[in-house]
Amino acid sequence: MVRVKPFTTAAELATFSADHHEMASLAALRQQALAAYPQLPLPTFEKIRYQRWPLFNGNLAPEQAANQTVTSTSMSAPVAPLATTGAADQEPAMIQQLDLQVPRVQLSAEAQAQGVVALDFFQAQREYPELFAKYYGTLAAPALANRLAAFHTAAVNGGLLIYLPAGAKLTAPLTLELTQSGDNGQLYAQHLLLVAGENSEATILATRHTTTAGSASANIVEELILEQGAQLRYTAIDGLKNTTYLARRAYLFADARIDWALGEMNDGDIVTDFNTDLVGNGSQADFKAVAISTGSQFQGITTRLTNYGLHTVANILQHGVILSDATLTFNGVGHIVKGARDSDSQQENRVLMLSRTARGDANPILLIDENDVRAGHAASVGRVNESQMYYLMSRGLSKDLAERLVIRGFLGSVLTEIPVAAARAALTATIERKLIDGQRHRDRAQ
Amino acid sequence: MSVLEVRDLHVRVDDQNEHKEILKGVDLTMKTGEIHAVMGPNGTGKSTLSGTIMGNPRYQVTSGDILLDGVSLLDKPVDERARAGLFLAMQYPAEIVGVTNAEFMRAAINARRPDDDPISVRQFIKELDHNLALLDMSEGMAERYLNQGFSGGEKKRNEILQLLMIKPTFAILDEIDSGLDIDAMKVVAKGVNSMRGAAFGSLIITHYQRLLDYIKPDVVHVMMGGRVVKSGDADLARKLEDEGYTGLRDELGLDIQLTDEN
Repeated sequence: MVRVKPFTTAAELATFSADHHEMASLAALRQQALAAYPQLPLPTFEKIRYQRWPLFNGNLAPEQAANQTVTSTSMSAPVAPLATTGAADQEPAMIQQLDLQVPRVQLSAEAQAQGVVALDFFQAQREYPELFAKYYGTLAAPALANRLAAFHTAAVNGGLLIYLPAGAKLTAPLTLELTQSGDNGQLYAQHLLLVAGENSEATILATRHTTTAGSASANIVEELILEQGAQLRYTAIDGLKNTTYLARRAYLFADARIDWALGEMNDGDIVTDFNTDLVGNGSQADFKAVAISTGSQFQGITTRLTNYGLHTVANILQHGVILSDATLTFNGVGHIVKGARDSDSQQENRVLMLSRTARGDANPILLIDENDVRAGHAASVGRVNESQMYYLMSRGLSKDLAERLVIRGFLGSVLTEIPVAAARAALTATIERKLIDGQRHRDRAQ
Repeated sequence: MSVLEVRDLHVRVDDQNEHKEILKGVDLTMKTGEIHAVMGPNGTGKSTLSGTIMGNPRYQVTSGDILLDGVSLLDKPVDERARAGLFLAMQYPAEIVGVTNAEFMRAAINARRPDDDPISVRQFIKELDHNLALLDMSEGMAERYLNQGFSGGEKKRNEILQLLMIKPTFAILDEIDSGLDIDAMKVVAKGVNSMRGAAFGSLIITHYQRLLDYIKPDVVHVMMGGRVVKSGDADLARKLEDEGYTGLRDELGLDIQLTDEN
């Protein structure tokens, strides 16, 4: 394993900015964030105690020892790629990034014709400085909001810009395959800035995957800005192995709509900050997530949807499963601010525990500061349904197989909502693999 | 030929709802090639018997034994008993979203085969189509989620469909006739009768003689008060239909309170 040095100095950071021809305002923001982050408070997430986790480890650049080279085979991740279902004669739109290197971008003819942009983080600053000035760290994910956000702003060492021009409508999904080596000592401070212009429409299928676990941290920020009337379906399967902070934050203008479908299939400890601000009147967010925690890992998943605008609609549905000594905490925060009249905030959080030593929580948190609203929640922490197990096993299915089928049923209410069949199949396969791993680990322990 | 033996079986239930001994020494032996019926009034332990043979963890065997071809099943979990050849068609099958009927049946068939020799898709579909037709079920039933939103009658047919696909050595049918109209009962009987043969035995648990008009039993057992009080041929079922359980009880001079007796 590569030795991890403490995080960088102002001088080293300035060199890093210069080497990457970073825009002056971003380089300055970096320095400001570097000075500020140690003093800023860590964000608090209910019942998730991550404060002592090694979240600030790693080098800006990969260690020479690891000496990763980009080859087409190293891009292939064990997470099944999400095949597109576009027209047969159309090349799928595919963006692949290994670690923080320059991504490989292949846009479909449809995407090219409509002026869709997908670029490396540093190249994008040079070509679209106005987009960075307007959207980077300003709306969806404020650059200096807390210690983790500011650390990201200081350390961000690679990423992507995706821009959908106003009116662009992609019929086929845009696939992102983001791979982290994990064991090369490099801090993975990856940034995705996605701007969906007015009335644009797209489906994003993203996979995040770590090849080999290592001691460097990941601090990933995805910020999505949906301009008026934009419609985005965002499906992501995360299979990260290092200690990770993952922020996935969206900012919605009027009548914009986002449909999240996330599979948290990580193997390492992770704390997430999933956040959607429904700022514009009539905006809508539908958030669905499934998660499986295995071994001794800790996944702390906080999802916050805030209704600011009038007539906004926010839904959260989170189902998770825990094996062995693992921990899974779901916080669902539905916040309706004063003045967000005729708004709706609903949520359901459920956790299933498959062992006596599993730890789980499902916390619905409703913060309602307005009277003229609809809001509701449901939550449960339970064990596998014994009558379902008995029924399946009475047909000869082994306990492990029966358990996996019952779990699939439990996660099914989320799975069936995923818009693209190939993505559903990929997530089903990932769930199956993660459960088999978890059961093996448990059976060895017994 | 296979033999399923129940020897002096005593079973209790201890859970939040009840604490009591339900079976008080049941003896019963059946062989492949035979159809046995177990009749008896409510609350006499018929479902407890079927659940205990299958291995439902709810039931605790305090003494006695259950043997399949001379090998005790008591220390075997439910899935092992199933793979050893037992099948229980349940009164209240579980519903499972996200798992299709067809997928479930394939998994059940493959659980009985070596890992490297699963049933071919073609063979599976051939058998499935044949059995769906036999049971007057639509092809769409196979692709629906397991028992999810099925009517009472559909669930019962689906139990018989699984029976036909899995082809167990011994099938226990626990009140498969309850809640079925006469047409559905005929379809269920047709399915069970199609399994009849030297390699198959069945234990049919029922309140009423009516089902036995369509599935003719070789042996009829009457249970009361947690044990088998009388065994005989198909005529015993007809006699019960005429005289009722109280008539038989009084004839045998048994001191048993029947649940539904006023």
